[in-house]
Amino acid sequence: MRNRDYNIIELMAIIAAREIEDRAVIYIGTGIPMLAASLAQHMHAPNIVPVFEAGGVAPQMPTLPTSVGCSRTTYRAIRTCDMPEIFEMAQLGIAHYAFLGGAQVDQYGNINSTVKGRYEAPSVRWPGSGGANAFGSLCWRTMIIMNHEKRRFIEKVDFITTPGYIDGPGAREKAGLPPGTGPYRVFTDKALLDFEERTKRMRLIGLLPEVTLDEVIQNTGFELLITEDLKQLPPPTDEELSVLREKVDPFRIVLSRGDKNSKEEN
Amino acid sequence: MSGKVIEILEEGSGQIFSKITPNEFREHMREKVKNAWRDKRIDIKTAIQQFVHDGDYLTMGGVSFVRLSMAAVHEMIRQKKRNLNLAAGTRTYDFNLMLDAGCVKNIDCGYITGMEIFGIPYMTRKNAERMITDGEMGIAEYDNASMAWRHKAAAMGIPFLPIRNMMGADGFKHSAAIKIRCPFTGEELVLVPAIYADVCIIHVHRCDIYGNAQIEGALNEDLGKSKSAKRLIITTEKIIDTDEIRLAPDRTLIPCFYVDAVVEIPYGTHPTNMPGMYYVDIDHMKEYVAAARDRSSLEEYYNKYIFGVKNFAEYLEKVGGKERLHYLEDLEHLRVR
Repeated sequence: MRNRDYNIIELMAIIAAREIEDRAVIYIGTGIPMLAASLAQHMHAPNIVPVFEAGGVAPQMPTLPTSVGCSRTTYRAIRTCDMPEIFEMAQLGIAHYAFLGGAQVDQYGNINSTVKGRYEAPSVRWPGSGGANAFGSLCWRTMIIMNHEKRRFIEKVDFITTPGYIDGPGAREKAGLPPGTGPYRVFTDKALLDFEERTKRMRLIGLLPEVTLDEVIQNTGFELLITEDLKQLPPPTDEELSVLREKVDPFRIVLSRGDKNSKEEN
Repeated sequence: MSGKVIEILEEGSGQIFSKITPNEFREHMREKVKNAWRDKRIDIKTAIQQFVHDGDYLTMGGVSFVRLSMAAVHEMIRQKKRNLNLAAGTRTYDFNLMLDAGCVKNIDCGYITGMEIFGIPYMTRKNAERMITDGEMGIAEYDNASMAWRHKAAAMGIPFLPIRNMMGADGFKHSAAIKIRCPFTGEELVLVPAIYADVCIIHVHRCDIYGNAQIEGALNEDLGKSKSAKRLIITTEKIIDTDEIRLAPDRTLIPCFYVDAVVEIPYGTHPTNMPGMYYVDIDHMKEYVAAARDRSSLEEYYNKYIFGVKNFAEYLEKVGGKERLHYLEDLEHLRVR
């Protein structure tokens, strides 16, 4: 870790928060997506509608939730409901963004959170889809957040838990998924990526502060498209950091995962 | 007659672990609802003995670490329930404890073993991997939405629901879902089979002696689950007068005629969150995940908190008693950090 006054989780949350537009309806998974959405809500996007799959609609999270159903996800919410209603809203076209993580991703944004290796005899069994498959299938735009490692950014995922562009342009529609949906952004601990319009392949559009292009390429297990006007993203501002630390996650429930000596599971 | 047939485009190869029996369920409900106004109060030990049988298809309420009926989970483990088929959408701690205790035979998977921000307990993951590889545990692959809709379908009294996710995913191949062409729009749809469960257990904030129940916070799959099981055990923080129910009928989420048993257990979801009452016991969750690093410490955890206590009240004393519970209440209401 380089010597700087913020950790990698803080940085990822801040980079992701900047991409969240005001007035959007956002379906949020556990962890960094919660940080990013809450930070955006406190900063430039007070009119977003955060939605949690267990039934929380438009809460004003007082502290970071520990799960997608805990009481922080319904605090000062405008409605609590059940899970079918939440996913029916997405099926109806209400959900602009899905914000989720995963264990593996490929160049078309297909996400694996089910197994490493063969399905019938996995070398690692992960929790499975959770809400991710429906999030990524039914929301208009999917934002993916993951650590940038060669073993995670791979040529072909072992299992498609949540389909991205599957094997290229038109494949989602051909599979029967609602038209006009798909992966939109990928946030990592090294870069900001999108999906090139014509090929639907993942494309590098921004480097995190102090990260080099070579570092990103070295840690990607497939051939990455690179935008012509590749940018070095600006570091966190004092305001972003203080809101994140004091208002979004004061107990450092998730932020502490980026602290020194803190080890990521799996 | 147009002679049109609904075209089946693709079928998953996963097993169906529950029966799709809407007509049988109708017969069952016809008789069951006659007990609407029976006083259903009972203790947890008797409720589990009487209503949960080995080999049952079981559904459980709550989500993640929220409103899990832990008193019931402890009791099922103590009574050594075996070969249960489990609806495993959004499951965490409850599922993990039952899996490692040997209660589980087959699962419809939506989300298993993970403890969200606390990570995946190592022993549980290893155990799941071994049971799947050895064929000791049957597994069919879904996601939280399709599982929620499967419960809802049964609660609607129908055999399946058409949905618009699962296509293009490998989970589909390992599910019992079917892809068809919609006879109205010509678009592709996935049909997911209803889950008619044998027994369901849900923890609620309050209910009367008949089981008319109020729940606060996120409802997860509980509306569907409570209405799609042959037997329904309600565990509750508090029993209230029916007059209170009648004062606010819009708050009744589970009407009494679905209910078979009412068990009063204050703090019955500890260490999980009871929205509006007490927060997740984060320290206890960490203690559990740490204990699950190896077999002997996990066994110790079970012996200390489940086998080593007579009932849930004794367990609550062990985790810190009133002082701890009051702290969790303060935490829930943001009075402490």
